Amino acid sequence: MSSLVFLLARSVKNSFLELLRKPAKLILWIFVIAMLGGVLILSMFTRQSADSTLDIIWLKGIFFLFTLLFVAIAIQKGLSNGDVIFDMNDVNFLFVSPVSPRLILMYGIIRMAKMAFGAGFFILFQSNSLGTSFGIGFDAVLLLLLGFILAVCLLQILSLLIYSLTNGNPSRKLMVKVISVLVFLPLIVYAGVQFFKTGNPLLALENTLRSPFIAWAPVAGWASEGVISLISGDVGNGLLFFGLILLSAALLILYIALSNPDYYEDVLVATETAFEKKRVISQGNMNTEAASTKKVKVSRTGIGGLGASALFYKHLRESFRANRLGLWGLSSVITVLGAALFSLLLKDGGGGIITLLQVLMWMQIFLIGTGRGLKELYVHYIYLIPESSFRKIVWSNVEIAFKVLVEAIFIFFTAGLITGASVLLIVAAIAVYVLFSFLLLGINYLSLRWTGADISAGLLMVIYTIAVLVIMLPGLIAAIVIGSMFGDIGVLLGCGILALWELFAAFGCFAFSKGVLHRSDMPVMRTGKQ
Amino acid sequence: MIDVLGMTKKYGRFKANDNITLSVGSGELAVLLGPNGAGKSTLIKSVCGLLRFDGSVTIGGYENHTTEAKRLLGYVPEFPVLYPMLTVAEHLEFIAKAYRLSTWEENAEKLLQRFELDDKKMKLGKELSKGMQQKVSVCCALLPQPKAIILDEPLIGLDPHGIRELKAVISELRESGCALLVSTHMIESMEENWDVTYIMVKGRIERVCRRADLDANQSLEDVYFAITEGNSQEGKS
Repeated sequence: MSSLVFLLARSVKNSFLELLRKPAKLILWIFVIAMLGGVLILSMFTRQSADSTLDIIWLKGIFFLFTLLFVAIAIQKGLSNGDVIFDMNDVNFLFVSPVSPRLILMYGIIRMAKMAFGAGFFILFQSNSLGTSFGIGFDAVLLLLLGFILAVCLLQILSLLIYSLTNGNPSRKLMVKVISVLVFLPLIVYAGVQFFKTGNPLLALENTLRSPFIAWAPVAGWASEGVISLISGDVGNGLLFFGLILLSAALLILYIALSNPDYYEDVLVATETAFEKKRVISQGNMNTEAASTKKVKVSRTGIGGLGASALFYKHLRESFRANRLGLWGLSSVITVLGAALFSLLLKDGGGGIITLLQVLMWMQIFLIGTGRGLKELYVHYIYLIPESSFRKIVWSNVEIAFKVLVEAIFIFFTAGLITGASVLLIVAAIAVYVLFSFLLLGINYLSLRWTGADISAGLLMVIYTIAVLVIMLPGLIAAIVIGSMFGDIGVLLGCGILALWELFAAFGCFAFSKGVLHRSDMPVMRTGKQ
Repeated sequence: MIDVLGMTKKYGRFKANDNITLSVGSGELAVLLGPNGAGKSTLIKSVCGLLRFDGSVTIGGYENHTTEAKRLLGYVPEFPVLYPMLTVAEHLEFIAKAYRLSTWEENAEKLLQRFELDDKKMKLGKELSKGMQQKVSVCCALLPQPKAIILDEPLIGLDPHGIRELKAVISELRESGCALLVSTHMIESMEENWDVTYIMVKGRIERVCRRADLDANQSLEDVYFAITEGNSQEGKS
């Protein structure tokens, strides 16, 4: 036992000492804590404006759906590789040591709780919007976080148990799938009955959320009922459902520990898979397909182009092999459908297409890195091809440019049709979105060029995000100020100004990042623990 | 062919390579030896133009970032990184197209046969074992028939056949006038063919050793341990 306590305590101590040795990391943590403090203070003020708030039952619905997503992931993981509760170093050192497997399992579960806290940390940042929407305070947000952590911990243990029971046994896997559907069947049936009874989807949903069917739905229902009861002051009910989660977790741990002390094999596959993913990324293979076990059929082969253009044709071959829609995979379909749905909600609110544009631009800041061009920078080939840096950069990004342009046309024409926007406004939105993506590529290269890629991936991401905000600011101010002076055509004019600024700034970024391929180190994804 | 002059590579205040000077002539096999963390891979990556550095690196008289230098250079990295969605054959085709090679098919076929990859041509990069990936990586580096080749731990992960073939390829390349810079921990693997050895310790070249400098009863391994672990073993058989 003392060795495990030593491991936990020393890990915490060393993490803290590492923070002191790495000022950039320390600043980042101070920044996050300061933001949390700011959110806490803000939430104290927003609590006063409780008049225009939504019914807390809708918060229960959101929390239920959110937790349900983790239930689905846990079951899926349990049926494939099991969940990752250990690191490879635990496998190499602890599993072969003369420490009781049951104690090691406890150690894994404590570490898992830490990971669950990390996963739910972002909930704390929602306290302001939750306060405004539902009139709840920071204490309620902490309860939401607690409910989430409890649920995730239980789900990780459940995932381990499912793997342990079904590993290599298709009939048991089928049984788990059937049970997973059956336990939610009463809820689905009740919701259906309510819909046919009332004929009103919103009312049916509200009735379902108030029913015991949702409260007793495993894990997601228990957690949402427990949290909302405690927030509403029904302490008894809240403790009952939180207690149910804790009791289930304790029983599952007891079952695993007593029935299967030799659980090492059950956690090994998941641990090795996670380790392999990290290793592949740290060695430069940023393509998600590298770690995928999906069987790929090779039919058409060959690569076109000559010189730097071979990069583009290689990207085409890779994309069309990875999925049938080529450059436009499932994510593109989801984005177009999501944008259409969002447009339906915005239809009556006014300014629909511009709000959609804002949301998509925010998302694009983080999605631009999914293009194959930026991933090429992590592998040596692009540096060694005997062509000019400029040509290589251009050809390696043609794929993402083409993808974004076609996506933008589909998204904004669909949204324009739904919201009734003019063709000119649709074209302006497409221009702003496509040129923003072009600018983001430029900022990515500029960040690499400026830092020499000699920093951690996390810090590079922070620098990139700050650079996006700073570079966009003059264009946004000019667009808003000038646009607001011209009445009806102001929005169109504002979009035009913003698009021009994006084009100008993008050219500037590309010019300043000239020679990025030989003026910065080949970036390495530092994944930390391996 | 490969000339490094006063090359220094820093990470913050830490000097991974400190004022390195080395040269590898045509038809010469230079071996880079050193304990873990000596800075061998950093030096190799800098020579290949993957890292920034202070000093000068030229390949065939051209600064290493120029297209002329890149045309002369082949590189086998320490960890083979293949494109997961390209087949083995497509990796070679990509290199051929990117390097604008006109007649490459026959050479590619020979390389694949030599490394027993001819029956794996339609396999995807992600479906290959690490050893197979290393073989493809070697084939990609050799396809453009470079005049200077840099290999970073090339034998790691290869099966006995792969090791034998790669050693034979290295020997043939040397005979044909190619300049080779090889970093390895497997000293005995280069014992037959080496011309010059650079022994690195803590980012610096501690000793340059030419084959002619050794006594008849002295091996490369003796020299290495003499430098890295003191003089006690120098001179032993």
